[in-house]
This record gives sequence, C-alpha cells and structure tokens, in this order.
Amino acid sequence: MVIKTKKILAPLDGSKNSIRGLDMAIHIARQSQGTVTALAVKSVPGIYAIHPLGFLDFNSTSEMKKILSDAKLRAAKKGIKLIGKSISGDPGYDIARFANNSKNGIDLVVIGARGRSSAKEIFLGSVSNYVLHKSKKPVLIVK
Amino acid sequence: MNENNFKKVLVPLDGSKYSEKALGRACELVNMFDSKLVLIYVVEKSVPLNFLDRKAYLKMLQKFGNKILDKANSSLSKKGIHAKIILKEGNIVNEIEKVVKKEKCDLIIVGNKGLGSVTRFLLGSVSNKLAQSSSCSVLIVK
Repeated sequence: MVIKTKKILAPLDGSKNSIRGLDMAIHIARQSQGTVTALAVKSVPGIYAIHPLGFLDFNSTSEMKKILSDAKLRAAKKGIKLIGKSISGDPGYDIARFANNSKNGIDLVVIGARGRSSAKEIFLGSVSNYVLHKSKKPVLIVK
Repeated sequence: MNENNFKKVLVPLDGSKYSEKALGRACELVNMFDSKLVLIYVVEKSVPLNFLDRKAYLKMLQKFGNKILDKANSSLSKKGIHAKIILKEGNIVNEIEKVVKKEKCDLIIVGNKGLGSVTRFLLGSVSNKLAQSSSCSVLIVK
C-alpha cells in the first residue's frame, strides 16, 4: 500500500502555532517531494464574507499578503513550492471545505494545535478541533 | 538541522480496520523519515465486568491483543520494518500517554475511529482524547 502525500494543506492565521504547523508541512513535503498549499484564513463574520458588494475585499489586505509572503519565503528557503491562497469567513468551516474539495486534491492537513483565538494553554483550539472532526482527509496536529 | 523530525512513531492498535489504515500510513512515514516504530495494544480494564468472569475475559482480551500485535509485526517485517511491541493493561488513553512519555515518541498515528460503536459516525473517543490531551503531535488517519 503506497500512500502519497503530494499536496499538503497548511492553514495559517499568523500565529506562532500556525507557523510551526507550516514548518512541519514543509518538512514533510521535502521528504515526499510534495507541494505545500498555504491557506491564509481571516476570521470574518459571515455576513461580510458573502457581501454582494466588492469593496469589502478581505482577501487582499496587507495582513493576508504578509502572512502569505512570509510563508513563501519560508518554503523557498527549503526549496519547496508553495501555493498561496486566502479565504475570509468562518475559519473552521472554510478550512474543512477547502480540504474536502476534491478539486484541490489535498492529501494531508497539517494544523497547529492552537491558533490565536484562545488563551488556554492546555486544550486543543476550537478551529483545530472543528477541522479534525469535519475533514475527510488525514489531519496532523502539531503540538 | 531540523528539530521536528519524527524519530519515534507510536501506533496504537485495536484490531479494527481503521487501525490497520493507520499502520499503513505509519509504514509510509517510517520509510520517509527513517524513524523507529512502536506498536501498542492496550487491554481495557476500566469497563466494569462483574457479571462475567473477569479474569477469563481479560485473558481473552490479552490473547486477542497478542494476536493483533503478532499479525501487525509479521506484516511489517515483510516490508523490512522492525517494530517494538508493547502490551499494556489499564485505561487506554492513560496508558498510551504513559508510553509516549516513557519512549519519548514524537508522533502518534491513530485511525479516526476504533472498535467503539457508540460514536461510530464521529471521531472516536480515544482518538479525540488523544488529540486533546497528548503532549506530542497526532496524525489522525481518515
């Protein structure tokens, strides 16, 4: 049985933990000659994410661009191809949907145990937990 | 150079096909990272079994566990992987945590469900507890 992990999804929110997840994704990608898809997620109340007017474009804010360019730099240092994508909306839901979408062909989701949302140190973050339950692809939780 | 290397990988087995899947995934990782593999089977002691002959039941479970571990080990040795085998008794999650600490594992690979029937449609209870509380990284194989 040969399982290929060619495409690795690494959701990012700019926190330290998500960077650690990205490092792990890059590490795995290097071993399996895969590519990393970085997904910058901006938490936005649902009503804005589906706003019909174009002026609320969260996907191209400087914050997201910075996260993605940082990720690209990190990957380039290790010689890994990184594809940047950005999404705004409910983080857990959108990450899970992105991972399950067969068009994206994700083989593995690498996620930090905690993001920026909680001050709790011991428990799994809510987004990680949501993705863990909802994703149909394997999930690696980096502690 | 890279400190987050998977030097030791722990795979808890329970005989379900999900745990077999997890084992397959573990083989791939072991080949990729050249890491050591530890297999564990935990005989669950926490279920109250007063109505049955407890000793006989535990013996049965132990036999079952040994069978599973032997089977996994023989299929691994066909692929040229050597694995360390551990059989424990007690609460499943607690024992796995203890072994993780003792063996200094870097990664746990579990299937998303096991043999428990109640939470069949969701993430299994053991996988969930491990994901919440373990001190090392967890890979959930779906």
